[in-house]
Amino acid sequence: MPHPELLLLLLADARLPVGGHTQSGTLEGALTHGLTANDVPGYLRTRLLSSTRVEAGTAVVARATVERHGSLDQVERAWAARTVSPALREASRTQGHALMRLVRRTWPDLSRPLDDVVRPSRSTVLGAVSAGLGLGAASVARLVAYDDVQTVCAAALKLLPLDPVTVAGWAAEALNGIADLEAAVSWAELPTDIPACSAPQIEAWAQAHAASTRRLFRA
Amino acid sequence: MPDHAPHRPPAAPAAARAARPLRLGVCGPVGTGKSSLIALLCRELSGRLEIAVVTNDIYTDEDARFLRSAGVLAPERIRAVETGACPHTAIRDDISANLSTVEELEEDYPELDLVLLESGGDNLTATYSPALVDAQVFVLDVAGGGDVARKGGPGIERADLLVVNKTDLAPYVGVDVPAMLADATAARGERPVIGLSRTDRASVDRIVAWVEEVRRSQAAGVLVPSDPGPMARHVHAHEH
Ligand SMILES: Nc1nc2c(ncn2[C@@H]2O[C@H](COP(=O)(O)OP(=O)(O)O)[C@@H](O)[C@H]2O)c(=O)[nH]1
Ligand SMILES: [Mg+2]
Repeated sequence: MPHPELLLLLLADARLPVGGHTQSGTLEGALTHGLTANDVPGYLRTRLLSSTRVEAGTAVVARATVERHGSLDQVERAWAARTVSPALREASRTQGHALMRLVRRTWPDLSRPLDDVVRPSRSTVLGAVSAGLGLGAASVARLVAYDDVQTVCAAALKLLPLDPVTVAGWAAEALNGIADLEAAVSWAELPTDIPACSAPQIEAWAQAHAASTRRLFRA
Repeated sequence: MPDHAPHRPPAAPAAARAARPLRLGVCGPVGTGKSSLIALLCRELSGRLEIAVVTNDIYTDEDARFLRSAGVLAPERIRAVETGACPHTAIRDDISANLSTVEELEEDYPELDLVLLESGGDNLTATYSPALVDAQVFVLDVAGGGDVARKGGPGIERADLLVVNKTDLAPYVGVDVPAMLADATAARGERPVIGLSRTDRASVDRIVAWVEEVRRSQAAGVLVPSDPGPMARHVHAHEH
């Protein structure tokens, strides 16, 4: 296996063909319902304190579960129970499917623990695969958090008239919030350890977005 | 003089593809008639073939709604994919959202013969990856001007079929259709060009026959998806 740091870069790269360009991290729905450009940095912080902790916690626990040869089904169920919005569950499963396609072809052995999970979420896939790739729990947590920040920032550039350097600055600023998230989830081992801290407003926006007829992003 | 790039191998062996429906991509600039062509094919073929459609609307679900309201196909067989304002990416460098949707349709309707994909309508350089579609149609229209075919581009030159649509409008936009078709044919070597108008029955028959022919070769396992490529070639590709 290549160095884990290189694998982490590969997984974090927006050029990975897993449909990242179809996602806005619910930013599109949030902007439609009144958030402004000035609110985006706060939106990034809020996500790192709420929904992204669920995602990162799920990935960390999926990783630990594969390490101890446990069943990923319970992890997936714990994630679904903490992800109240059907639209967000669906979006994550679609992304999980794209990631599975990549994993099956690139590292066929690593997809095996996921064989029995029906339509796993993106975080479950990411966590399960990272066990086989030799990534540590903290790395996985940082990966999920980083990806969330960049998803929102990339979508902000499509949706709002902004200088890209301003947005890169928001991303850099948001990275400060990732240390807390990492501390909050990287110790987790069991499905019950996954934080249950969704953001109801984000879920409401995600639901409204899914029912709208004019959208650039899937979710 | 730089030579042209070597021929790329197909994305997957053709034999592996015969077990599932033909995936046919339709691309070309916005407004040239992609949705109308898909509606037309559904209307003409749905008596004989099981069909589903994937649209890639750029901004609205207009295409999907147009097709649903055209009543040519059951609404649940028409699915829209959002491309995050990247219609080009979604058919070429990261096809995962489209491919998932196609696979979903194929799972939901195991009897499918034909899946039609409509691109969000990017510029002249947008073409499908052969990993997503088995064959592709590039659509231009006479209203875009008689010069477009001559200007070329990967889709115009090397899509499996080039359609020059709305020939009925030619007198109103001052376009000489035979000359435009001759330019297109010259740019494409042996690849087919069809001048189309929904009001010209013979042209409709020609395009339907072309689709059926492609479907037959796909079903027989002899269709090898070919890549129009992203770039202009310096030298004409060799013909077989
Ligand atoms: N006159 C004429 N108009 C056509 C023809 N085909 C399509 N159109 C019109 O061209 C416009 C754009 O068509 P549409 O299918 O939505 O294009 P798309 O953006 O490429 O999907 C619509 O107003 C159609 O009615 C044709 O054969 N003749
Ligand atoms: Mg259209």
